[in-house]
Amino acid sequence: MHPAGCGIGLRAPHVAEILATRPGIAWLEVHAENYMGGGPAVRSLERLRADYPLSVHGVGLSLGSAEGLDAAHLERLARLVERLQPALISEHLSWSVTGGAYLNHLLPLPYTEEALDVVCRNVTRAQERLGRRLLVENPSGYLRFRHSTIPEVEFLNALARHTGCGLLCDVNNVYVTCANLGGDAAAWLDALAPATVGELHLAGHAVNDADGRTILIDDHGSPVADAVWRLFEHALGRFGTTPTLIEWDTDVPQLAVLLAEAAKAGARLDEASDVVAA
Amino acid sequence: MSSLRELQTGFRAALLAGDERGVAPDVVDDGVNASARLAVYRHHVLTSLTAALEATFPVVCRLVDRRFFGWLADSYVRAHPPAGPCLFEYGADLPEFIAAFPACAPLPWLADVARLEWAMNVALHAPDAVPLEPEALRTLPPPALARLTLRLDPSVTLLASRWPVDAMWDANQAGVDPAPTVDLDAGGAWLEIRRRDGDVVRRALPPAVFAFRAALAEGRALEDAVEGALDADPAFDLAGEIRALLDERSLVA
Repeated sequence: MHPAGCGIGLRAPHVAEILATRPGIAWLEVHAENYMGGGPAVRSLERLRADYPLSVHGVGLSLGSAEGLDAAHLERLARLVERLQPALISEHLSWSVTGGAYLNHLLPLPYTEEALDVVCRNVTRAQERLGRRLLVENPSGYLRFRHSTIPEVEFLNALARHTGCGLLCDVNNVYVTCANLGGDAAAWLDALAPATVGELHLAGHAVNDADGRTILIDDHGSPVADAVWRLFEHALGRFGTTPTLIEWDTDVPQLAVLLAEAAKAGARLDEASDVVAA
Repeated sequence: MSSLRELQTGFRAALLAGDERGVAPDVVDDGVNASARLAVYRHHVLTSLTAALEATFPVVCRLVDRRFFGWLADSYVRAHPPAGPCLFEYGADLPEFIAAFPACAPLPWLADVARLEWAMNVALHAPDAVPLEPEALRTLPPPALARLTLRLDPSVTLLASRWPVDAMWDANQAGVDPAPTVDLDAGGAWLEIRRRDGDVVRRALPPAVFAFRAALAEGRALEDAVEGALDADPAFDLAGEIRALLDERSLVA
């Protein structure tokens, strides 16, 4: 069972309504770390699993940690994956753990040969334990490191080539990163190896001020921006029909709002598949 | 240029201790300076972890107001960042942190309210366990029974407080009388908090039953637990209590 069409990120305020009304949603994505205990949240997910394809999206594996992966956390992720048997499993090109502290953010990596070695080692270890292919997501960026030598998109392509992982292309993150750090978002997408892309993400971003300049913040707190919809259409032109997800994490709206957003993405996915069919 | 490990250590110091010396020299400063760029990450880390703590300790937050709670949480996050990425496990030592936080000294009951909320959080997320079948005890000879260590369901916490924290918690729920009065001198609380059928439930226990279950929770053998219970109440009914524990599915295999 492979998810097709547009799914939504499952958020706690919507669980009861989805269970009660079983709306037509192509698939659901859950944050792995929310389901590593017991109790009602896990019970509800096991019921939803019967009706919807699932994607498990990790936010805490810290693939970019120089100190390596947290073995205990990888073990918990593996047990969750064994129980849920999701269609897709994804994580991020970032780090959040150092010296045993978890910093609860997708923190940036310098794009160096050293960092590429670290991430390749960690992705390989994760894929070996999970017995599954991981999709690795491009982060939203707010800074660049002076000693980075590899363009982000080349770093991702090399990671996929060396480890066999797939890529999760977050279209909003591409837009935000290029706006914040300079770069052409369409060219970024054009440089990504198309065969590796297994999933797309869409979300809203906020427009803030930093040091007197505009900075975009990937806060998942609003509808997808018009410019990001255009970039999504560009991505579909390049990658073809690809499982796509709407993420909304802050100021979570009514389920109907989220479903309407997913329907907008779904219509574009249908158009893309018509083009391929023609 | 820092090694990746040095860079990550420096980044952590910039986020939690405000010391940017280890990482700022590595950050490209083009239009927006390194400090402002690092502030984007720091803001997310501190606000998201504060929000996680507020979700776990809503009554503490309400009792001290959100601004004070934000300051308390900020101080706690910097001193005790999470040890892992499951945020429902974050905050176990916030009650002790509150007990030692000088600005909370005028609120001596606050740490116990936090202990109650932590117990409720544990109850909600504890792993699902298989209850002990009564037959497992019936076949044991009495001497083995005395030395037995019974394990309570992982959702169970036994919480004793010299303050009426249960009444304080109830008075601070949405939709209750906006001006309830809780008599802080009304006496303490001996509570059991656990999950039953997916819901978190709390009840007050008689002193002997509390002493017995608290001893089991500490991993003490049955004969030690009985001794404590009989100290609290010479009429403690062991057989009835074991039956109750089995009926409530409070013991696990």
